Amino acid sequence: MPNYKLTYFDGRGRAEIIRLILTYAGQKFDDNRVGGEVWAKFKPSTPFGQLPVLEIDGNMYAQSTAIANHLAREFGLYGRSNLDAFEIDQVVCLMQDFWSAVTKVYGEKDEAKKAELMGKFTQEEVPKFLGLLEKLLKQNSSGCFVGSDITLADLFVYDLLWNLKSKLADVFEKYPLVNGHQDKVGSVPQIKAYVAARKPTTF
Amino acid sequence: MPNYKVIYFDIRGRAELIRLIFAHAGQKFEDSRIVPEEWLKLKPTTPFGQVPALQIDGKMYAQTIAIANYLAREFGLYGKTSLDALEIDQIVCLIQDFLNATLKAKREEDETKKADLLKKYVEEEVPKYLGFLEGLLKKNGTGYFVGSGTTLADIAVYDFIFNLNENHSGVLETFPLIKGHKEKIASLPNIKAYLDVRKPTPY
Repeated sequence: MPNYKLTYFDGRGRAEIIRLILTYAGQKFDDNRVGGEVWAKFKPSTPFGQLPVLEIDGNMYAQSTAIANHLAREFGLYGRSNLDAFEIDQVVCLMQDFWSAVTKVYGEKDEAKKAELMGKFTQEEVPKFLGLLEKLLKQNSSGCFVGSDITLADLFVYDLLWNLKSKLADVFEKYPLVNGHQDKVGSVPQIKAYVAARKPTTF
Repeated sequence: MPNYKVIYFDIRGRAELIRLIFAHAGQKFEDSRIVPEEWLKLKPTTPFGQVPALQIDGKMYAQTIAIANYLAREFGLYGKTSLDALEIDQIVCLIQDFLNATLKAKREEDETKKADLLKKYVEEEVPKYLGFLEGLLKKNGTGYFVGSGTTLADIAVYDFIFNLNENHSGVLETFPLIKGHKEKIASLPNIKAYLDVRKPTPY
């Protein structure tokens, strides 16, 4: 079994999908959290000056989606065919677009602009993305996004929506399949145990 | 052989990567270019209300990178192992970050803010990303980004760098390996044949 060491800041952010995949697969890993001066010293050793990075038997890799895809292949979370993988990638790419919309609003420093962006976000973008996810779940009808088992797509959606759902519960009420999906993934024993024990962080 | 149809506007834009993959693989496809009036009618039939879309035997798929990954797997452009694929994905993700940085600067509506962003883009971000790409080529040592043959990573970099060079001529002068890579990919027989007849468009 390879030795996995994940390095990120002390939060969920872009590393949480990686932690969820490894946890779902029952794979031990070193959950290394850095900040401040430790990060400043570590930064030049990373491929692109960013986190997360994953060291696999000492070889360092960057880019959370690239890492997530590799682990999904290793742990059988990428479907059974190229077309399954295609459908999984579609959902993951859609979530990246959603993530960009989220970070654009929540990362805005100007309070007035943020309030303006937040209005558009909750009234247009969140319904748009949740509507697309609801449609995909309805079309697939198994309760999962692709095929009939949990894949990378389900974990990606679960991760991104986990925090949003607590902030926008009334919006989520209108999307029963998406709501159900969050509960479905959240009830998987190893995910449930992991989230229950997870240290609360602001991001 | 499946029937492929690429649907996009009459520009290179986000579809060109897909067209280049088909060209390199010597695979025929219908290159459907739509005008704004057609787009309004077509939009509801696409998975996420966006193009590019790829129709495979009549079934519609979305998301540029999902499409590119699928075709790369079909046409043997995704390396031989999951770790090869991880290295390819790293580079494709890096190019996405570079593209997002580019669009953020160029699409800013506030003129003062735009001037600042463009300055930062040209002086800091372009050299930063080109530095990473130059370093990856140097480290791999084969003239290709991953392994010793053309992969999706090479085509994705070529496509982005072509556009960058069009908009910032001379930017590659201090990045000889990237410059050489651009010439190398453009000279591959199938790519050259495609580029020789490609209709010039503003972007």
